[in-house]
Amino acid sequence: MTGSEPTSWMTDYPSTLIHWVIVGVGIGLVMFGTYWLLRLLGVRTQPATGYALVMPWLLGFVIWNLFPFLASLYLSFTNYNLLQDPKWVGLDNYSRMFNSDPNFWPSIRLTLSYAVLSVPLGMAGSLFTAMLLNQNVKGLGIWRTLYYLPAVLPAAATALLWRWMFNPDSGLINAFLGVLFLPIHLLTGAAAPKPGWFNDENLVLPSFILMSIWGVFGTQTVIMLAGLKNIPQHLYEAAKIDGAGTLTQFRHVTVPMLTPTLFYTLIMAIIGALQTFTAPLFIDTPQEAGIFMQVYIYTQAFTRQKMGYASALAWVLLVIILVLTLVVFRSSSLWVYYEGEIRDDTPKRRRGWPFRRERPALVPLRVADVKERT
Amino acid sequence: MAIQTSSIARPGTADIVPTIPRRNPIVGRLLIYGLILFGASLVLIPFAWMLSTSLTTTSRLFVYPPDLIPNPIAWDNYSKAWTSLPVSFTRFAFNTIFITILAMLAEIFSSSIVAYGFARYKFPGRDFLFVVLLGSMMLPGVVLQVPSFLIWRQLGLLDTYDPLTVGAWFAWGPSYIFLLRQFFLTIPVDIDEAARLDGANAFQIYYRIMLPLVKPALLAIGVLSFVGNWNNFSGALIYLNHLEKFPIVLALKFFERNLSNNVPPFNFMMAMATLMTIPMILLYFVAQRYFIEGITVGGVKG
Repeated sequence: MTGSEPTSWMTDYPSTLIHWVIVGVGIGLVMFGTYWLLRLLGVRTQPATGYALVMPWLLGFVIWNLFPFLASLYLSFTNYNLLQDPKWVGLDNYSRMFNSDPNFWPSIRLTLSYAVLSVPLGMAGSLFTAMLLNQNVKGLGIWRTLYYLPAVLPAAATALLWRWMFNPDSGLINAFLGVLFLPIHLLTGAAAPKPGWFNDENLVLPSFILMSIWGVFGTQTVIMLAGLKNIPQHLYEAAKIDGAGTLTQFRHVTVPMLTPTLFYTLIMAIIGALQTFTAPLFIDTPQEAGIFMQVYIYTQAFTRQKMGYASALAWVLLVIILVLTLVVFRSSSLWVYYEGEIRDDTPKRRRGWPFRRERPALVPLRVADVKERT
Repeated sequence: MAIQTSSIARPGTADIVPTIPRRNPIVGRLLIYGLILFGASLVLIPFAWMLSTSLTTTSRLFVYPPDLIPNPIAWDNYSKAWTSLPVSFTRFAFNTIFITILAMLAEIFSSSIVAYGFARYKFPGRDFLFVVLLGSMMLPGVVLQVPSFLIWRQLGLLDTYDPLTVGAWFAWGPSYIFLLRQFFLTIPVDIDEAARLDGANAFQIYYRIMLPLVKPALLAIGVLSFVGNWNNFSGALIYLNHLEKFPIVLALKFFERNLSNNVPPFNFMMAMATLMTIPMILLYFVAQRYFIEGITVGGVKG
């Protein structure tokens, strides 16, 4: 991990600083050059300026997204150890992964179950909290600040903290359980009365889930609270006049009106959960019980120098993420309700929740989110 | 009416209407505050535990049950953690600041100028490009990691700060562009027109007029970008090799790996974690005001 001969900040900082300035100025020149060239070619001022202005992103997209994306696909069909040129091996990497890699399936299982369990649990918890905070409580700002606090804790610090909280011998959690005399080991099937948490093969996953909920709880609560605040009061008043009780109001006003927020949170949470990386690197678990996909990819690529195999693994993870995201997107027409539709599509309103909508769109969603915070 | 009472018993599914529930208002309120307080303590106890551990002496670290308030209080854990690695913590702190500031500045500049272009200029293919941008927001970083590493390797810039800072000029973070574009869209076009009639060029309009108008949004993405770069672990892990060059997160990892073989010094680790977190928490408390400013002033200041 560490190089041998020492380096000095006197050389480290300036060299990067110089590159940073050069690239910054270079980007400016590219923008100017784009404008000048387009004008020379007879393009009008408006579009020429437009192209020039989006140039930094366009360049970045091609260099750091599009090219790596394709390169990674190519590499996934090769063996590449950095020393020799990539060697084309066809589908070897994939067949090895599916048939003979003992770590692959456990890793997939862990990553998937982690996402499938932690995301809904975290969302349900934050929805509940957001609704509590939406009850006209005093000092809302303070509560919101407190609840959000874990989100500013670096993932590395969170992981270390929870590793220590879950320490079987002198962690806080077991101390609490000891005080309460909870026979937690009967529930979990753990051998000892003191659960081993991260040290216990069977409890690794629940431990990670508990930790992740603590970490994402605040962010999601704040987002959902903003979503709740965005629901027009007159809908509740109308529902009340129609004789709707509290549960009916929740089911027919709160939930449908909140679905865009829930949808957005769900997508982001799934993508995040499947790419968990920092936390597991800071936590020791029994041998194979705690290898998340992202960590496995990292190990293959950067400690074992198997760039081709790592790329293939990354593509499998990408496909999993895409499939899950697509499923959520597709299903969104069944459960996500956007305001505005109601006006275009009055008869469907009678059918009650879930409302149908024509096609899912992430864009209006984000707009709504931004607006809430602004 | 039965429903009404149950709403008090189960506030999760409760009344959102801003009137106090009619039945048993005090009991209902107490329950709500009780639950909120309970939740808040669940959130805060780990923080308190982190602080408490960071002040525990090594000999008291593994007693059962653990001391909730350390006795004696070991203030020197912090100074010991500061110097416990072959390289002083000061250097790690400076590395972190160096990386964070450069990346953040480049990110703010590039994403705001791109957002301005998308919001204010019409050109063929703009909407398509914008959809591509939104799509790249969903692209998981996993697949990009290896090839990006190979690019930097080809450039001979591994084990330098370049991959963590210079790349930011290329408008990293499509979500920042998206957010800023939304803000630019709220500013009336008349302002640009007026400036253009006065002879201002595109860059002058962007720099002199638009940027000051979206200041709250700039601060908002500034904060996001600061936190993101400060905590950027995977980038540093992949690209940096020399201990001297490590940001704090990576130093924490190094510390964890090298010193925790027999008895993990959790008190030192918690001290380092606290040191790393303090700037984030301070920034959070300060920047909350900017977020609120952004909420109230918004884009329609002009």
